[in-house]
Amino acid sequence: MTPGADEIAALIGRCALRDRQAFRDLYARTSSKLFGVTLRILRDRSEAEEALQEVYVKIWQRSDRYVAGGYSPISWLVAIARNHALDILRARKPASEDIDVALDVADAAPDPEQAAADAGERARIDACLDELESDRAGAVRGAYLDGYSYEELATRYSVPLNTMRTWLRRSLLKLRECLS
Amino acid sequence: MPAVSEDDRVLVAEYVLGLLPPAEHPRMAARLAAEPALRAEQRLWTLRLASLDREFVEASAPAAVMPRIEARLFGTSARTSFWDSLALWRGIAAGAVAVAVIAIGFNVLNPRPDPRQFAEQLVAALQDQGSGVSFVAVYDSATGSVRLTALTGAPVPEKDYELWAIQGGQTISMGVVPVDRKVDVKLPVTVAPGFGAGTVLAVTLEQKGGSPTGVAQGPIVAVGTATLI
Repeated sequence: MTPGADEIAALIGRCALRDRQAFRDLYARTSSKLFGVTLRILRDRSEAEEALQEVYVKIWQRSDRYVAGGYSPISWLVAIARNHALDILRARKPASEDIDVALDVADAAPDPEQAAADAGERARIDACLDELESDRAGAVRGAYLDGYSYEELATRYSVPLNTMRTWLRRSLLKLRECLS
Repeated sequence: MPAVSEDDRVLVAEYVLGLLPPAEHPRMAARLAAEPALRAEQRLWTLRLASLDREFVEASAPAAVMPRIEARLFGTSARTSFWDSLALWRGIAAGAVAVAVIAIGFNVLNPRPDPRQFAEQLVAALQDQGSGVSFVAVYDSATGSVRLTALTGAPVPEKDYELWAIQGGQTISMGVVPVDRKVDVKLPVTVAPGFGAGTVLAVTLEQKGGSPTGVAQGPIVAVGTATLI
């Protein structure tokens, strides 16, 4: 857990009790981080602002679904912001379906035993990414942090789309093996 | 838990990363809802990839965003009616003790011509116990009712607030109370005889419909003592 995680968790808990002041405090403490997320993925200031607004509406409405001992509170908030931004990216594409899946990641049942082990596991991903070729590790980061699609990654790394897909899928399996 | 195939492992990773085509994304979401083994896989990726979260660089959000969020969630704060003014009721709650002192002082200096003309009134400020929920209660013996107004707080899904009178060593339920409107609570016969200055009023957060046992089970969200005015 990062410093201040307990306070963030407490603020989320008070939001579940409909404490508006706690919501304002939570916003003051976390909005810069979450705006950083929506801005990086959407790459458009006004869209990122709009998204941030939606994200905090969701946080208030779903605050009772955060359970301490599951995700770190910051990761839970970042997941809401990141998934919302990815939903917007998908909605830009013609084939999109309007289904809100933004919060399902965060809804997994908490597992206290698992939580204790999580800290170490989180640290492990850096080492595992280092084992991949730098291009491929970069593609994983690009997908997670920038919301790049296979098409965008293929363009960025100047490889055909199918090559990128094969590359990344193999890298994910390798990563999965290293992580478990 | 059944083993997860290599293909599914990749699909879940792609889902978490946001790499699935828009049409396939909701399909995976539906499978995740139905298959616990896939959810365990999703959890693994989510938790481990979360260590990359620190690479998101903070950026100050424009000042205009928060007021828009509050307007969306709580409506505009500009209330028109004097009696609905939250600021007024908050002032009363904060000043309840001062009001009582002034009222008593005033009565000593200016004895009422006929006290029986005046109904006995009590006020209690039910202060927030860290929950963000607070009430002011005004009792009028002429009606035998407590008028309860929530100053802060909002409804909690699947929960109800319950009002309790604590007097003579007993805690007695006065029923479920709303936080989104004023309510007149008639004193139950079990409360009325002992009710007066010094009675403590408390509000707890209970399951829907209130505590089924007649004993408070949830946390106390607000509490205050009745004072004569």
